[in-house]
Amino acid sequence: MKEIRFYGVGGQGVVVAAKTFSVAVSIYENGYATTIPAYGHERRGAPVYADIVADNKPILKNCFLYELDGMMIMDDTLISKHISIEKFKNEDTFLVLNTNSCSIAEEYKNTYHFRNVYYVNATAGAIKHIGKPIPNSAMLGALAATGIVKIESIEQAIRETFGAKAGDCNAKAAREAYAQTTKI
Amino acid sequence: MTVMQKQQEKHTPKPQKFRVYGPVATVYGSSNTGSWRILCPKVDYEACIKCGTCARSCPANIIDIIKEQSECVVIDFDYCKGCGICANECPVKCISMVVERG
Amino acid sequence: MTYKMMDGNLAAVEAMKMAKVQVVSAYPITPQSNIAEKLSDLVASGELKAEYIRVESEHSALSVATTAQLAGVRAATATASNGLALMHEVLGMTSGNRVPIVMPVVNRGVAAPWTLWCEHGDAMAERDMGWMQFYCENVQEVFDLILMAYKAAEDKDVLTPAMVCLDGFFLSHSMQKIVVPKQELVDNFIGGYKSQNTYLDTEDPMFICDLTGSEEYTEMKYQQKVAMDNAIGVIEQVQREFEERFGRKYSIVEGYRTEDADVVLVALGSMCGTGKHVVNKLREKGKKVGLAKVTVFRPFPAEKIREILSGTRCIGVFDRSAGIGGQGGPVWSEVCAAMKDISCDIRNYTGGLGGRDVSPDNIEKIFDELLEISQGKRKNHTAWIDLKENAMDIRQVIKNV
Repeated sequence: MKEIRFYGVGGQGVVVAAKTFSVAVSIYENGYATTIPAYGHERRGAPVYADIVADNKPILKNCFLYELDGMMIMDDTLISKHISIEKFKNEDTFLVLNTNSCSIAEEYKNTYHFRNVYYVNATAGAIKHIGKPIPNSAMLGALAATGIVKIESIEQAIRETFGAKAGDCNAKAAREAYAQTTKI
Repeated sequence: MTVMQKQQEKHTPKPQKFRVYGPVATVYGSSNTGSWRILCPKVDYEACIKCGTCARSCPANIIDIIKEQSECVVIDFDYCKGCGICANECPVKCISMVVERG
Repeated sequence: MTYKMMDGNLAAVEAMKMAKVQVVSAYPITPQSNIAEKLSDLVASGELKAEYIRVESEHSALSVATTAQLAGVRAATATASNGLALMHEVLGMTSGNRVPIVMPVVNRGVAAPWTLWCEHGDAMAERDMGWMQFYCENVQEVFDLILMAYKAAEDKDVLTPAMVCLDGFFLSHSMQKIVVPKQELVDNFIGGYKSQNTYLDTEDPMFICDLTGSEEYTEMKYQQKVAMDNAIGVIEQVQREFEERFGRKYSIVEGYRTEDADVVLVALGSMCGTGKHVVNKLREKGKKVGLAKVTVFRPFPAEKIREILSGTRCIGVFDRSAGIGGQGGPVWSEVCAAMKDISCDIRNYTGGLGGRDVSPDNIEKIFDELLEISQGKRKNHTAWIDLKENAMDIRQVIKNV
């Protein structure tokens, strides 16, 4: 069983990313994935997150997650927004980070003591392929680079979620981010 | 627009009694409101000017004026509750309320 | 087998669509809104052949649905929280006139304080309005229990409306993998709708809901009581038939590892999944704990509760509603009444209010308390299990007077 949380800010497509990831695992890898989204007072720019449990057998748990195997952070300024992420991680928890800066990735790794940090400039990839700074699909590509899910499953799930036209460019953004993701 | 379909049983030519649950009735005992009447309107046709004020004033809308008849004010006594509004409103006071029973 | 990814709201819509509802009158309210929206999409696209009647409140929504169903079709509506509270007087109209509507209720606390989030307080406040109440553990159960609710509600010996309660956000907005059967299988299971008891038909008029005096009112309430009594057996029969046709087993109360349990926690709704997860974890540590999941709360399955709990001396009941002013929550009160002739210690737990997570840690804490009580190592229990220590000092404001 893998317990993962997607962090971001309103407007980045965090909840859609969680749904898409759960489709990839459940439909295209014959596994099971449940999303437990934390809805608040919805507005753009507010910190948001969604929890996902993935397993190869049906999932019983239906609650928020307290010890994460992995985290995805779509906005690298979260570190300055008083979001406490330490209490939800253990020494093996990995991080997938959207940043244009190697030094910020290093800062996350050292501040929070992550063993592995995977980072990619997903916002740039999104602007290039989709024309909008919505990094969710590219971040799913980066998540696939950790090996937790196949990139092909992510691409298929993106096409299913976004439909034919938007699905193609989002899938391209995911594929490119998958190739460009750096592990430190 | 979809047409709502009636899916209950077809109408039967022979009505039967069925047991039902809950508050429902097909025989309306209290609908014969004429039985409520204690005083009954009585028209003096000699005095009547066939103006129709009584018909317009009737809250149950059960008065018709048929001008070609000599007894031109026709009241449906199945539904007249005997409220007396017609008598009150008549401009020539040709309707009086009379005791109908014992 | 076809798997689909759906959240609880979409699963509810899918079930109502497959039941071929012909009139929809729903008023949106968080977290139910996308039930109303999706039904409207389906009517607009023609995928669902139904009239969508736009109403100005939940009071009208249920009034329209109730009378539409009397005209001879399945009618759909859904609500949550304050919307359900606004339906309160119409709930009695639906059940008293014996109209077997099935209505998803997306559980959310009732204001004040204003909350958008999950608790069972909204549905529990309506527990004596003559509706059946089903509580769902996961998204598959949302779909399945709605189908079963149609079949049970419309049974000639029941003719009673049903709420299918799904936890706000934890189910309504949780994407899960579910099996959606073929339309043909659903058609064979629930069939078309037929007015059975009373109906609105201009060619065969009847006067429904006339003023009823004290010489008949008691008997009509008794008829509803008998219908509820009948419903227990009917629901169990429907669950057996569902298992034969669809392969998924249901019970009015599910005992999960209760046979040899030293202590059992009674729960309902989405927390049951987390509860089972904790039971498995504690069993691995050698702690003999079990969970009793109440799927049907109205009619209350007292006999089944006794059957599952009779060997257990120490029992906890988790109410996801505050039961303010009562001796404990409503589920606890019912369990106590069911067990009144059996010697056992039943403890009331309240938690998970206004969206507070029912976490594995808190469930584990309950099991540990119950185990200590059963071993005589402890007397008191923590009734408000997830209460903060500073409960009486939550907010300070600046006053100018």
